[in-house]
Amino acid sequence: MKKLVERITNGIIVENPTFVQVIGMCPTLAVTTGAKNGIGMGLATTAVLVGSNLFISLLRKFIPSKIRIPAYVVIIASLVTLVEFILQAFVRSLYSQLGLFIPLIVVNCIILARAEAYASKNKLLPSIADGLGMGLGFTLALAILGSVREILGAGKIFDFPIMPSSYQPAVIMILAPGAFFTLGILMATLNHFRNKKVKDA
Amino acid sequence: MNLFILFLSAILVNNFVLSRFLGICPFLGVSKKAETALGMGIAVTFVMTLASMFSYMVYHWMLIPLQIEYLYTIAFILVIASLVQFVEMVIQKTSPTLYQALGVYLPLITTNCAVLGVAVINMNEGYNLIESIINGVGAALGFTLAIVLFAGIRERIENNKILAAFQGFPIALITAGLMSIAFLGFQGLL
Amino acid sequence: MDITNILYPIISIGGLGIVFGAGLGFASKKFAVEVDERIPQVRDLLPGANCGGCGFAGCDAFAKAVVGGSANPAACPVNNSESIEKIASYMGLMVEQTERKVAFVKCKGTCDKAKDKYEYHGIMDCRDAALVPGGGAKACSYGCLGLGSCKKVCSFGAIKIENGIAVIDEEKCTACGKCVDACPKAIIELIPVKNKVRVVCNSQDKGKEAKENCSVGCIGCRLCVKACEYDAIEFQDNLAHIKYDKCTECMACVKKCPTKVILGEVLDEGISNKDNYSTEAI
Repeated sequence: MKKLVERITNGIIVENPTFVQVIGMCPTLAVTTGAKNGIGMGLATTAVLVGSNLFISLLRKFIPSKIRIPAYVVIIASLVTLVEFILQAFVRSLYSQLGLFIPLIVVNCIILARAEAYASKNKLLPSIADGLGMGLGFTLALAILGSVREILGAGKIFDFPIMPSSYQPAVIMILAPGAFFTLGILMATLNHFRNKKVKDA
Repeated sequence: MNLFILFLSAILVNNFVLSRFLGICPFLGVSKKAETALGMGIAVTFVMTLASMFSYMVYHWMLIPLQIEYLYTIAFILVIASLVQFVEMVIQKTSPTLYQALGVYLPLITTNCAVLGVAVINMNEGYNLIESIINGVGAALGFTLAIVLFAGIRERIENNKILAAFQGFPIALITAGLMSIAFLGFQGLL
Repeated sequence: MDITNILYPIISIGGLGIVFGAGLGFASKKFAVEVDERIPQVRDLLPGANCGGCGFAGCDAFAKAVVGGSANPAACPVNNSESIEKIASYMGLMVEQTERKVAFVKCKGTCDKAKDKYEYHGIMDCRDAALVPGGGAKACSYGCLGLGSCKKVCSFGAIKIENGIAVIDEEKCTACGKCVDACPKAIIELIPVKNKVRVVCNSQDKGKEAKENCSVGCIGCRLCVKACEYDAIEFQDNLAHIKYDKCTECMACVKKCPTKVILGEVLDEGISNKDNYSTEAI
């Protein structure tokens, strides 16, 4: 049980996919125009991640090593198709907002990386916990990024106006460059605190 | 749609990396030196052109007639993965020098969002075969342009004193953001 | 529930997978590249640092050349002698052992000993700084600039910048030669590690000028040449050079040198030049 909790916290903080491992950048920059979109994408990815870790861990003894990558990709692609259907049926607005990036969850480096690095070598429950942890870490990162961009770029959060009415929204934050700047500055802040911790240690 | 406009918009106006955010992982990863960036760009162009063509064929000649369009994700990814494997084998056999130059990047391209992305865009926009191929070539050239420019800038930054917190990815991301603003200027082009 | 809804996807995607799989299998046979099985064997015996010290483009290329007969296994400076022996016996070759060399920085002009002409603010790379007229900020135009171009190219972490000059850790140095190429002042030289007496200066300035620029430089007084009974020191362009094959480490030159620029140790007389140079024991 302790191991499972450790796996989850590992994915959220210690080895956060966005801020520490710096993988899965494409959706991170693209869909974080708002907090809602960011969280939606994060949760969809989490679902695929947990599912793929589950199946790959179950099948790890049966898949021959030479064709493991194509096999993983097919499993992940099937799960993504499933998630796409669910989103299209139940949350139509989110589906149209995320658009192109839902099928692109297949090639999200995080999923293949966790499959290769963890699920293919570990038992079922730890793999599921690992998938959940990484997915939640990813969702957290997207939520933070989306919130910052939405507050600065539209004066709202979750479509709820939060900035005073005199605030002129910096539209550039919602556009492409804003994503790069926000992520860059967030990473610099984290690096600063990490360096400080290392220096004090 | 006018082919030339399509081509130009894929390279500049809707640049795959700086506007559409496709192919960010290799953009940040393989851009430390200008030569490796160029190698990656050429390999991507190769793969994206062929992938556009084959994914169009599979979609229109197999998925639509059988009315199973919803399986496009699986079908496209199978096409792309097999294509990359095949291209790697052919290059290794026919031109060892070319393999030395590009070979390393080919497996990386399989999980490149840009390749799957262009196939899905072609499908969503309903382009015919020629338009799909032109879009693929244009997108790849846009990617190459962005990554080579970025590598050039990064090489220059390398020798300067940068604040400790910003070294590595943060300064690279801010540079990319500035490049992105520059490319926003192309919006009014067409 | 129409059976075609289940059948079509299975057949089509399955069919696609089988067709691609078969195609790739066929292609792998047709486009198979024959690899000499000895190459991976030799490659495993190499250190894998890809430093280029052998003169080839990485360990893979070197392994290929060794198997092809165009390279001597001993050409890899990083490898230990045991592995070189193994490669040699595997390939059926005779290999003569070359003595171990290390890189050595011929400058001890630290911040307190050597003067600067001006304060340098610019690209922090020796190769760029050396392009500035005057050859860089140091008063001595032959001296180490301490901006770390050598440190950047060392793939073994053997170079540190201390007190404004480069210092090489001889335990870690593998004499691959990358730092020698990187230094714009040609200050680094590959020296047999067993030779402990070394001239730690690169300056071709004479007497007063050399002394003004740096208090521990070679002033070209030739006292060392006169002191040496074994004819192991020669003079070129106002700079002493030790002939490593002739030096017997008698320390006569070390005792005579007025600026203490020759590195060496004379234990019984309590003379040691180690402190002037580096903080690590040789």
